[in-house]
Amino acid sequence: MTRGRLPDLDWPLALATLGLIVMGLFTVYSATSVPGAHQGLWMKQLLWCGLAFIAAWIVAAIHFRLYDSLAWPLYGVSLLLLVAVLVAGTTRMGARRWIELGPIQFQPSELAKLATTFVLARYFDNARLNLRRARWWLPPLLIMTVPFLLVAKEPDLGTAMSFPAMLVAMYFWAGMRPGRLLLGLSPAFNVALFFVTGSIWWFAGLFAALLAFARPKLSLLLAIVALNGVVAWQLPRLWNHLHDYQKRRIETFVNPETDPTGAGYQIIQSKIAIGSGGVLGKGYLKGSQKALAFLPMRHTDFIFSVVGEEFGLIGALTAVLLYAVVIIRGFRLAAVARDGFAGLLVVGVVTALFFHIMVNILMTVGWAPVTGVPLPFLSYGGTALVVNCVQIGLLQNVALRRREY
Amino acid sequence: MPPGPPQRVRDDRFGALSVVVLAGFGLVVLGLLRLQVVQHDELTRLAEQNRVRLDVLRAPRGEIRDRLGRVLADNQPAFDVVFRPMPAESAASASAAITPAWIAQVAALIGDDTLDVRRRVSEANHTGQTAVLRRNSPYAVMAAVEELRADLPGLDVQVSPIRRYPEGAAAAQLLGYAGEINEEELERRKEDGYRLGDLIGKTGVERRYEEMLRGNDGAEFVVVNAMGKRVSGLEGSPPRPPVAGHDVTLTLDLDVQRALDEAMSGVDHGAAVAMDPRDGSVLAMVSRPLFDPNEFASGISFARWRELTADGGNPLLNRAIQSAYPPGSTFKVISMLAGLNYHVVSAGSRMPEPCTGGFYFGGRRFRCWDASGHGSVNLVEALTHSCDVYFYQLGLELGLDRMMTIAHDLGLGQRTGIDLPAEAKGLVPDDDYYAKRYGTQHWPRGLLLNLGIGQGELLATPLQLATMTSIVANGGHPVRPHVVKSIEGYQGFRIERPLEPGLKTDPGNWQTVHTAMEDVVETGTAQAVKIPGIPVAGKTGTAQNPHGRDHAVFVCYAPADRPTIALAIVAENSGHGGSVCAPIAAYTLKRVLLGDSLATAPPRLALTPADSLRYPSD
Repeated sequence: MTRGRLPDLDWPLALATLGLIVMGLFTVYSATSVPGAHQGLWMKQLLWCGLAFIAAWIVAAIHFRLYDSLAWPLYGVSLLLLVAVLVAGTTRMGARRWIELGPIQFQPSELAKLATTFVLARYFDNARLNLRRARWWLPPLLIMTVPFLLVAKEPDLGTAMSFPAMLVAMYFWAGMRPGRLLLGLSPAFNVALFFVTGSIWWFAGLFAALLAFARPKLSLLLAIVALNGVVAWQLPRLWNHLHDYQKRRIETFVNPETDPTGAGYQIIQSKIAIGSGGVLGKGYLKGSQKALAFLPMRHTDFIFSVVGEEFGLIGALTAVLLYAVVIIRGFRLAAVARDGFAGLLVVGVVTALFFHIMVNILMTVGWAPVTGVPLPFLSYGGTALVVNCVQIGLLQNVALRRREY
Repeated sequence: MPPGPPQRVRDDRFGALSVVVLAGFGLVVLGLLRLQVVQHDELTRLAEQNRVRLDVLRAPRGEIRDRLGRVLADNQPAFDVVFRPMPAESAASASAAITPAWIAQVAALIGDDTLDVRRRVSEANHTGQTAVLRRNSPYAVMAAVEELRADLPGLDVQVSPIRRYPEGAAAAQLLGYAGEINEEELERRKEDGYRLGDLIGKTGVERRYEEMLRGNDGAEFVVVNAMGKRVSGLEGSPPRPPVAGHDVTLTLDLDVQRALDEAMSGVDHGAAVAMDPRDGSVLAMVSRPLFDPNEFASGISFARWRELTADGGNPLLNRAIQSAYPPGSTFKVISMLAGLNYHVVSAGSRMPEPCTGGFYFGGRRFRCWDASGHGSVNLVEALTHSCDVYFYQLGLELGLDRMMTIAHDLGLGQRTGIDLPAEAKGLVPDDDYYAKRYGTQHWPRGLLLNLGIGQGELLATPLQLATMTSIVANGGHPVRPHVVKSIEGYQGFRIERPLEPGLKTDPGNWQTVHTAMEDVVETGTAQAVKIPGIPVAGKTGTAQNPHGRDHAVFVCYAPADRPTIALAIVAENSGHGGSVCAPIAAYTLKRVLLGDSLATAPPRLALTPADSLRYPSD
């Protein structure tokens, strides 16, 4: 809050973020420099950068204790907004995600993500916490599930999935044993592996290994085995009862290259763009794929493909390195911070960032489904940039006060 | 505030998280190495030499057949002129290839305006996907395109299925038609994977069963050369073959349909439904004026549409389910059933006032259609000769509720739930309805007289009349009118259970009604339907039309002892049911029940002096 504390900022984190934002500005300029595109977008993005910086500054200046005490009211407001967006939100590309406030469009899911992190951090920051008992581990699951379902309903599966990811990391930081955590996640693996491989045996093998590793108590063992048994038994029936078009959607989700309506096309074009960039890249402003509009959404969801095409492996690895600095330095703050709430807050925020980075980049290289998640700091988009900078602001907030209890 | 976990624990957990993070970024690096080092040459070749395009392999729609498997709708190949987006190395050369001269030449070739061609071409260049410039082109255009293709980069010919209706106008409104999706439908159904250029069911069965009839388009990634021509498939990405839609089998019987079509050929505006009274399956449905769905399947011009609707009748309107008419005297069957069911009358009951050609009520004379009067008649005789005076009095005694309860039981006043879109509900007025119109408890009792003979506010679709006749014919069992019998390979299709409760009443009552309806044909107002060797039961009607000549109505079922077919016929603005519609029914029944050889020529509608009588008068 005061100038005297400025040196306590986490400078590598700040500089890596700045590097990514600059890289994003240049890439957005390149991606929109082709005929027919909105050519002034990089200037708009620059204005948003200023706004994002101010927002981050404010968020960092306020003591994190205030977020702690405001957690529940914020959570309540964000749930109301999520319901409001489903009822009266603006529909774009088939999803209701936005609320319009005059000229500004606002995604309540972003606020919900932060508020849920605050509430979970507040909840786990409790001396009596005992995650071996359902009475203690069940409430956070419910806290996460409500906003998760509301966001998934929009539908915005990419953002929704960051809620469980966050919860898993915070369970871990709060002391849940990894074996138990994996056991709890096993029904999700079960469903995912079934849809990817079409057989239950892949999961059966994994599950056996998991049990050997976790060595749960008999009662827990029986419960988990029964749960997975029911899931495995019902899945094929569920599958057969789906309509053809529903099956098609799931197939597309699992294997986008079979989708004729667009997702598969995007993936192929993205792979061609990145791959043809080679080690050194085609040079700034010289990408041919993005120039011909063969690369869809090249300044938003697929901006990493433009990085890969024009800056090559060198440029792509630079971006990855900067991201790695942000994430690792972020998690390190959790280890450094003495305050329980602050540590948990950091873990939640960094996990959400990490999840979005992974989902987006793995999508552009063809290893994850197309879910419409922007790439933090690089993609064009004002709201996302402000939110991502606010997240960094929260991390710097903890960095400034890491010695406090 | 409790302190966080101790430093050592935090360091351990940070270590574990770091491993996960490094693994994640490691995966990303592997993905980048795979694309940018391992597959670099291959992907560069695709990027440079040419590009990958996604071609949609259109799936044929399912066929529609009649109950004996005779084809009513299938597909035939049509040739489309298409534009394949330019795979040039730079944006400049792509736009350079499409000159104003190119656009002008192509527009002239396919007979479209240049603005439209320019719009479609630039859209295709933007999305990288093929654009259809002209659908279903005639041979001359195709030949010209083939000849000029070398000079016009990007221009190509593509085969895609369009809909064919081999029976032409037969049951056209029931089948509906499928045509190219329009922008409004596209916006609404984008979620279901529709794209520009797709076929979609617009009306009738084609629309109602769109989800089943529609196939699952296949797709293929193809490598194309600088002219937009296919060079090869994309390695490692085999084409996904199209899957045809499900074939739909209707309950329709083409023989019955043809007979009814011929019988109705003299009717300008009207509708007829033939139903199997045992289960409500629709055997034939005619709505006139007719239209040829083949004309609509490939898109119809505005001028042609104006021509079709010139005489004020919309041929796309399925009058059999979308138009509601006053049922006229056919409703007397319901009044009669109500009287019997509630023990107000029996077969031999006579009314206090004999028919003298009219009936005084509330200071007003209600006339019988037969001005000379029927004298004193019992219930059966009253139906046989359609005596209005008898049913005026019966209506008064029954009251609104009892009459309309039976009307509901026989399927009037509510949608039958047939599996066709946009069914009309008809109207069976109740207390609330009149309270709204006249004020609570103030509606004039005189309305009951008109309701007793099927006039007044009552409205029923021809389908509802056929349903009513079916329920009467089968002795009160509910039926669910439906047009689809089965869907090939589609799990979970079943015919819905009947909506109507049907009517449970004393079997003797049914006996009385059946006898009376047979008498209508033997000695009453519908003697034109008499067929040697086959007993027919029916009821004539004439629906008052405030806008012009009355509508003729007729319902019947046959054979009367074991009914297999029920008919409802409405001919707009043509007078008496007995003289106009009964011959139509006779022709149809002879053709269907006796076979072609005995059928006479289709009846011609000649206006006899009797038709010009006002019926019933007021």
